[in-house]
Amino acid sequence: MQQLDFNKTKKLLDKYNIPYPKSELAASSDKAIKIAKKIGFPIAIKVISKDIIHKSDIGGVKVNLNNEEELSDAYDSLLTSTKKKSPKSKIEGILIQKMESGVEVIIGMKRDPQFDAVLMFGLGGIFVEVLKDVSFRVAPIEKKEAEEMINEIKSRKILYGIRGQKPVKISALVDLMVKISKLSIENKKILELDLNPVIADETSAKAVDVRMMIE
Amino acid sequence: MSKANKLDPIFNPKGIAVIGASRDHNSVGYGILKNIIKGCVFENEYCKPFKGRVYAVNPNADEIQGISCYPKITDIKEDVDLALIAVPTQIVPAVMKDCVKKKVKAIIVISAGFAELGEKGKKLQDEIKDIAEKAKIPLMGPNCLGIIRSSANLNASFAPAMPPQGNVAFISQSGAIADSIIDWAIENNYKFSTIVSYGNRADLDVHDFIEYLEKDEETKAIALYIEGLKDGKKFMEIAKKVGKTKPIVVLKSGRTEKGIHAISSHTGSLAGSYEIYKAAFKQSNVTVADTIEELFDITKALAHQPPAKTNSIGIITNGGGCGVLAADYCSGIGIDIVELKASTIKKLDNTGKMHPAYSRNNPLDIIGDALPETYNAAIETLLMEDYISGIIVIQTLQTMTNPEEDANVTVELSKKYPEKPIVCVHMGGRFSKRGKHILETNGIPNYDDIKKAAIAMKALVERGKQK
Repeated sequence: MQQLDFNKTKKLLDKYNIPYPKSELAASSDKAIKIAKKIGFPIAIKVISKDIIHKSDIGGVKVNLNNEEELSDAYDSLLTSTKKKSPKSKIEGILIQKMESGVEVIIGMKRDPQFDAVLMFGLGGIFVEVLKDVSFRVAPIEKKEAEEMINEIKSRKILYGIRGQKPVKISALVDLMVKISKLSIENKKILELDLNPVIADETSAKAVDVRMMIE
Repeated sequence: MSKANKLDPIFNPKGIAVIGASRDHNSVGYGILKNIIKGCVFENEYCKPFKGRVYAVNPNADEIQGISCYPKITDIKEDVDLALIAVPTQIVPAVMKDCVKKKVKAIIVISAGFAELGEKGKKLQDEIKDIAEKAKIPLMGPNCLGIIRSSANLNASFAPAMPPQGNVAFISQSGAIADSIIDWAIENNYKFSTIVSYGNRADLDVHDFIEYLEKDEETKAIALYIEGLKDGKKFMEIAKKVGKTKPIVVLKSGRTEKGIHAISSHTGSLAGSYEIYKAAFKQSNVTVADTIEELFDITKALAHQPPAKTNSIGIITNGGGCGVLAADYCSGIGIDIVELKASTIKKLDNTGKMHPAYSRNNPLDIIGDALPETYNAAIETLLMEDYISGIIVIQTLQTMTNPEEDANVTVELSKKYPEKPIVCVHMGGRFSKRGKHILETNGIPNYDDIKKAAIAMKALVERGKQK
């Protein structure tokens, strides 16, 4: 299996109207600053290469960059680190992305030999990594099933707002899941898919990082 | 036309040939023939001899168990609609070809030694599948136990005996589990309309049997034992359709096997196969059971009791401790133990049957000295309330307890309020036996443990949400 390249991934996201943060690909530090000014700080940057699956493991992600100087430094260190740790990877560019804040969620899909596309939902970070607090449904799903998936996880209360946090917009998550279901059914070549994380807040749910796997 | 329509000769044959019928008491061919002729090898009151025509096929014998033998199935003059094949693996294809010539309407291959043994066996299995497919004859097995169907006086299997007749169909991928269920069912009074073990499913698969049972008047609920599915999507489609009228409960084994996942995505590494199966079952309105006993505990409740219209359940008990346990189990699995309204308490008071110290709350503890009339007043008062959708009735045995009369009271009220489910926990052993029997024969499931009753009620609540 290999990763679908950035442009094709982006095209699919656009086709299915899947929201993601404001972002643009940069080929140089100067260009990065121009883009950042346009979309506004704080900024996150990420190395884009279909050869790199776990970006953060090789220092390929820098977050919370608040000004030009921080961005410029981060850009250089990201490139150095990536080239050192993954010298053979072909870099498509550096993604300059608006920082989002909210609750981290993961939405995924894999193909099962019995049931074909199976969708997964969970909260990001330790909830998925350690507690494996996730729910599944066989695609296609409708809104009702997406809601069930959300309400099946043990950590669901976090989505409804705890410790003074505002609740996230559940309907935005539901919409996103139904769109991923549709995408999975209509694009058999996509074998696995992770939106990880999706960042949800009281107004929206955006796919901050997307990975689609093909044969 | 779906395959299910062609299964009648398996469920309701008129003439059966046993190919590989044998005189050797230790052989499968002997047991199957005896099961058909007598109904069982291990005799009991539920065994029914087959009333249709039976033929034994064996080139080396003139007669077996009192019936004459034919060298080949094609030597039989009359029509044969069901052929049971229990011959050495290698000659199964040749025997199948004879069956095609004879124009049988269905074939069950009991013989083992096919795909379960690897590549070579798989080839042989494909060969017999081809023969059946080309002739458009439905094939059950190979490597299966056969079928038991009390309403057709049919024990076309090498299971030891026939179970009590009832309304639950059991479809099992494993023959041995089906076998062991039967002896257990006889002892514990679990009743079956049909038991099918479908083996290697070269042709007929679990969904074909489920689809057939949709229109089977003998069957009110379906219990499944599944190791794996061959066509998950098809299963979901048919389970969803049949489940609308007949509740389906499944026990799935092979839950901890780790599929080989590329670690390229989170979803890939987190989606274990059992998790996916569970999701698929849920989406098809199939209830998942955890143990063999639970499978039948849940199925008998769904077969005989109506769904709970809302998640709002009452508990009636003559033992405080049991009431608390019941409430614990129920809350633990998401059953809502509804608070009794003041108006309900007043009605209970007005019956004049309540002990002065009764709990006045849910669980409704009607105190150890409760008589049948106390149960009657308590059960009816709760059943009459719109906001209570089902009840769990617990009875512990005390000096003044009358288990049989308590059971009769419950049965009568269940008939009077047929739209609300009742499950019982008449706890105890020897002295509670007859009361339990009254409940069970009248379709009120009884459990010897409170937790089992809670799980059954949960299934009835979930069923209510499905509809």
